[in-house]
Amino acid sequence: MVAIESVSEVAEAVVRAKAGGLSYCSNVFTDPRKLQCWIERGEFFREEAGGAALFLRRDRDFWHLYFCAGSPTQLRDAVCAAPRLKTEPVVVDLVGREDALDCLVEAFREAGFKGYQRLFRMARIDQAGALTAVPSDPRVVVAGPMDCQSIEEVLLQSFDRRAEQIPLLYEIEAAVRSGQIWVARAEGALAGLLYFETHGLTSTLRYWLVAADFRGQRFGSELMRRYFEASNAVRRFLLWVVADNHDAISKYEHYGFLPDGLVDIVLANEIIRP
Amino acid sequence: MKALAELLKGIRPEFDFSASRDFIADGMLDSFDMVTLVSTLDKTYGISIEGTDILPENFSSLETIAALLRKYHVAL
Repeated sequence: MVAIESVSEVAEAVVRAKAGGLSYCSNVFTDPRKLQCWIERGEFFREEAGGAALFLRRDRDFWHLYFCAGSPTQLRDAVCAAPRLKTEPVVVDLVGREDALDCLVEAFREAGFKGYQRLFRMARIDQAGALTAVPSDPRVVVAGPMDCQSIEEVLLQSFDRRAEQIPLLYEIEAAVRSGQIWVARAEGALAGLLYFETHGLTSTLRYWLVAADFRGQRFGSELMRRYFEASNAVRRFLLWVVADNHDAISKYEHYGFLPDGLVDIVLANEIIRP
Repeated sequence: MKALAELLKGIRPEFDFSASRDFIADGMLDSFDMVTLVSTLDKTYGISIEGTDILPENFSSLETIAALLRKYHVAL
């Protein structure tokens, strides 16, 4: 396994894999700026085998696998041949239309991976127009540097770190600097948060939660209202939700989100126990 | 070019593609949309866009998409 030193190294590996077969497959959808950050922090590695390139990104106590291959068969053979995938805890996200993922799921199952979680994407499409002004709850504010540690703790307590891409502390700090996290503070504690990423006309709602002790006090609705209010140039809102989290799904539907057909099938190798 | 704009509108009806010079930077198309667009272009024009051409810079504007289609001998 070799540490990756530049984004172009990833691009070159992708081109080689694309040339290696007629049924190119990949889960490398990552923004180059994010890749650059992983590389600079020494979190991103690669292995190449046959017609496939495998990339491993180190997370807290496990690895995310990214791949590109000329075909699902080449992918399966590469995964089987990579020693690191037998000894380290690894998860892989397969993203796309569900029916298009069957052959990839099969390739990973044959290589020893098993189902871990399933998420699907929901979207809300907005029309341009002014929002109605509503008095704001002063307890809901843009997060500051002193909130970062608490935000990481509450995310790790509330979400599945292997399936829901919990950002590392430095990523949370960057999001705070960019004003992309709103928090609700009450009784000296972090009562709730809303974490988003806006890119032009599209915004992804990454995490929205209210701590158990503070539910029923309208923090959740206030966080969401402030998010939409601050995103009035956005036309498309997206989010990913765990498929069996019916409580969250019904709340998102209340805010106008609907499934848009994309799924994320998360598989894990045998080192990871569900 | 108008047909191409209509095709994009079919994929992401909420956006005005004629008002953008860079669909990727403006958040109008993401990686997943590109995959959908490639599939739509393949079906519409009877071509097979190769994996090596599925790059953001080939889908950043009507002009770059048109240039990609010309490579596959599609006359717009």
